[in-house]
Amino acid sequence: MSSEPHIFFSDVNERQGSFLRRTMLMGGATALGGLALVGRLAHLQLFKSEEFATLATRNQFNFRQVPPPRGLIKDRNGVVIAGNRPSFRVLVVRDETKDLDQTLDLLGQLLPDTLERRRTIIREVNAAPRFSPVPVKSDLTWEEFSKVNLHAAELPGVMADMNEARYYPHGGAYAHVVGYVAKVSDRDVQAIRDKGEQPPSILFNPGFRIGRQGIERSLDLDLRGVEGGRKVEVNARGRVVAEDIAGSRPAVQGSEVVLTLDNDIQQRALEVFGEEAGSIVVMDVRNGDILAMVSAPSFDPNLFVSGVPGPIYRAWADYERRPLLDKALTGVFAPGSTFKPVTGLAALAKGIDPNRRITCTGGFYLGRRFACHATHGPQDMRDAIKNSCNVYFMTVATEIGPDAIADVARNMGFGQTFDIGIGGQKPGLVPDREWRRRNPVRGDANWYPGETPSYAIGQGALTVNALQLAVYTSRLANGRQAVMPRLIKSVGGVEQPPSGDLRELPYPPELLAVLRDGMNRVTDVGGTGFRNSQLGLGAVRMAGKTGTAQARNYGSGSRKSAGRPWAEKDHNLFIAYAPIDDPRYAVAVIVQHGGMGGGTAGAPRAREVMKVALLKDPEIRRRIEQAGFAETEDPGAHEAGVLEDAASDTTPAAAAEAPLITPAEAPGTPEAPQ
Amino acid sequence: MTASALTRPGERDRLSTKFAELDWRIIGLLCILAGIGTAMLYSIAGGHWQPWAAKHLIRFGVLLAGMIALAMVHPKWWFHAAYPVYGVLLFMVLLVEFTPLGYVAGGAKNWLHLGFIRIQPAEFVKIGLVLALARWYHGHSAQDARWSWKLLFPVGIIGVPFILVAKQPDLGSAMIIGLTGAMMMFMAGLSWRVIGAAVAAAVAVIPPFVMFGMHDYQRNRVLTFLNPEADPSGTGYNIIQSKIALGSGGLMGKGYGLGSQSQLEFLPERHTDFIFSTVSEEFGFIGSFTVLACYVALILISLRIAALSHSHFGRLSAAGMTAFVALFMLINGAMVMGLAPVVGVPMPMLSYGGSSMMTVMIGFGLVLSTRVHRYAELPKGQGLF
Repeated sequence: MSSEPHIFFSDVNERQGSFLRRTMLMGGATALGGLALVGRLAHLQLFKSEEFATLATRNQFNFRQVPPPRGLIKDRNGVVIAGNRPSFRVLVVRDETKDLDQTLDLLGQLLPDTLERRRTIIREVNAAPRFSPVPVKSDLTWEEFSKVNLHAAELPGVMADMNEARYYPHGGAYAHVVGYVAKVSDRDVQAIRDKGEQPPSILFNPGFRIGRQGIERSLDLDLRGVEGGRKVEVNARGRVVAEDIAGSRPAVQGSEVVLTLDNDIQQRALEVFGEEAGSIVVMDVRNGDILAMVSAPSFDPNLFVSGVPGPIYRAWADYERRPLLDKALTGVFAPGSTFKPVTGLAALAKGIDPNRRITCTGGFYLGRRFACHATHGPQDMRDAIKNSCNVYFMTVATEIGPDAIADVARNMGFGQTFDIGIGGQKPGLVPDREWRRRNPVRGDANWYPGETPSYAIGQGALTVNALQLAVYTSRLANGRQAVMPRLIKSVGGVEQPPSGDLRELPYPPELLAVLRDGMNRVTDVGGTGFRNSQLGLGAVRMAGKTGTAQARNYGSGSRKSAGRPWAEKDHNLFIAYAPIDDPRYAVAVIVQHGGMGGGTAGAPRAREVMKVALLKDPEIRRRIEQAGFAETEDPGAHEAGVLEDAASDTTPAAAAEAPLITPAEAPGTPEAPQ
Repeated sequence: MTASALTRPGERDRLSTKFAELDWRIIGLLCILAGIGTAMLYSIAGGHWQPWAAKHLIRFGVLLAGMIALAMVHPKWWFHAAYPVYGVLLFMVLLVEFTPLGYVAGGAKNWLHLGFIRIQPAEFVKIGLVLALARWYHGHSAQDARWSWKLLFPVGIIGVPFILVAKQPDLGSAMIIGLTGAMMMFMAGLSWRVIGAAVAAAVAVIPPFVMFGMHDYQRNRVLTFLNPEADPSGTGYNIIQSKIALGSGGLMGKGYGLGSQSQLEFLPERHTDFIFSTVSEEFGFIGSFTVLACYVALILISLRIAALSHSHFGRLSAAGMTAFVALFMLINGAMVMGLAPVVGVPMPMLSYGGSSMMTVMIGFGLVLSTRVHRYAELPKGQGLF
């Protein structure tokens, strides 16, 4: 081979020529390729650079929402009813976890209860944006919190922090009136969309809570505040590397809401119910401020903040005494004998002489016999209220007719709702001929005369709620003005008006004075409410009216409540105001299925609550102290025992053992109402 | 003194003459590119020499010395070493494939673990390929190179490493091997008709291969390239973020160390495959244009060196080395600009990575050697081995 010449010229020329041509082509192609890249660069960097700059900024900066602290709700004296407390919580960021399952396994070793809710947690984490932290457990103890922090290095994507959670320091006392907050549900969002509005983005913040009931719901927008934002620079893993202070704005706390409620009265009002069900409303008769509004039994609204565990919610929902129902506003009851002053006022307004005597023979006849609970003999209006004589009011009612009664009932506050800032109120029903025309019974649109006697004593189609009873009592006690209730004292420092214009009552004050005379006698010696209406505050005394409302039709059977199941007992009502000589406070009590006789279950509760209201009033307190009430007779000493019976659990046996409250065993004191 | 065709015999073999014959434009351009690479790695690390910039610079220094040393080596040694080097490198690829020394990283088994060092034989095998092809064509006529049954040899020389590397599976390297080989066959004088037929065949074969012959992650890359917006958080993320980095750089760039996409890690693989995006983001159109111009200049100068060589081996080996550097540059550039699928091809001299830089520097060592020894004539036929 080595003998061959090294260069064959023809070959070289051909190979070299071809190579040179091809290399020129390759060089050209490379240059063209470079040119194509430059063209692409120009396209991206010169013509579309603004678009990409926006995208880069969107990558780089993140607007982190800061949920605003919710506005406080306070009572009239500044006691916090709904506040915020710090809560330690654990959050998971999906994008920072290597493997969500594995992370949750590890987390489960630290916080065993996250294992139970594992499926919920996975669903929530997957539903949230990739970089967004999702709370998986709130309200950690300090121990748990530090444990999670200690193991943070082994748990990528898990972090522990502190936020604010809604807190109701008084538990169930305000559960119905103030309501509660809860997680935002799809229904909340849908409701906003249905109104044609765009739901605010804060709603989708996992830590945000929306007002669900009561004041929390009706003033939600005021309490919510304005969310803040932190303009932060984040890296690709969503970790914050810097914060742009100038681009951030702080969250603004929601407005402070002050209610007219008084914490001491409210607490006492719930306390006196014990295990009984019902409602108490306390009002200032001078201006309509609601000092207490309670529905019993109650529930702990704090549980709703983080979500009520299923079994507890079912227990609440299934309990026959209905803790979740607001009995003060959405429960309607027949007022029973507490309605008699309305009938009386209607009669007086129609010109019937209050001194006219009507003889009670134990029954009233109109087609059939309407029984009275005793034979009272001749009665004027004041006596009839004192003794709660059915015959008297049935007689006058048949003389004036149902429309006159309905007219007065409406003027006194029945058959309507009040704009006190809580929705869902039931107006109840004030029947009259017009109502009957629109709601005929078996085709008969005429008011049947036999309906009037029942109407006169607060039975029949008539229904009222506890707030209406309190408004009615306040107007009776006030004597001149149709006071309107007010629950929200101020929002964000702005004083709120009462729920309506203040009007004069369309009745001469002398007429109302007659009824008040009668109610004073109810709580005086021999009255139906005497035993349980003594405040023991010397000259400061309480006037009232008892009431029993049938919860069912007794037919010819016994009306006694003792021995009956709870749900078959009568509702027990009591309305009261005090002091008698210068009325300031009105109380309306409804004890659901509290048993017969307004003096037994209703009156002692009204008395206890009234005492708190009176003793909190500095002027009244001064007056009592000046008179030296310690020396005055104090029936409350033994009455307290009765209250405990009533408050704890009036089992039929216990009621029977208390001799003074059973009319059958104490015939000398006509305790029984109606 | 400058060597010429008239230089006296023996004069050309003096080291000082050889040294003077080095093409300093190439060395200068390589220094500029490696310097830009070091600066970008320094910037990406948040203004630190660690973990990348210092190593990159040191490697470049060592390899620069090595490259100049290789440039001094007479082409006959390259010529004689061509087949053995090819064989050894192929053996290393086989080691990766079939022995426990192979090492899996990033979904592909393409690292060789030799205890003291980890290397990617798939990178180096290109050098062996270029040398072996150049040697084969050196010994064959233009007629053989145009079209004859003997072309089965170069096809085999290309095909064996191509298949082995593609099986690893390292599609990017396999593609470079295949294309480098194809370009060499083209430059050696392959008939235009055959080229036309091969292109037609490729067009017919590639779509079914993509659908059925590829690993899932490779197919995803191709499909993602065709429609990156379909999965912005998954496989399309790289391309989208890279385009954002490029585009947001604008004309002048965001400034050195101020690229938000790179600094905040939105840009993936920003120290290796996507380093060009960082250049573009921080220095804008002007910076990236400059870098591309450097590459094109480097390639054109190298091709001219190849064209001026007196031996066919020298021509083809220098052109082959240039071809794969050009392929690296064009494929990587197209990839980061969203014109090609993400295939894992680094940007020569800019991207961090020893194997890649070493391959490129050895390649330019050969190019410079061709330049220095451009008058050298090599024996036709068998060499020493």
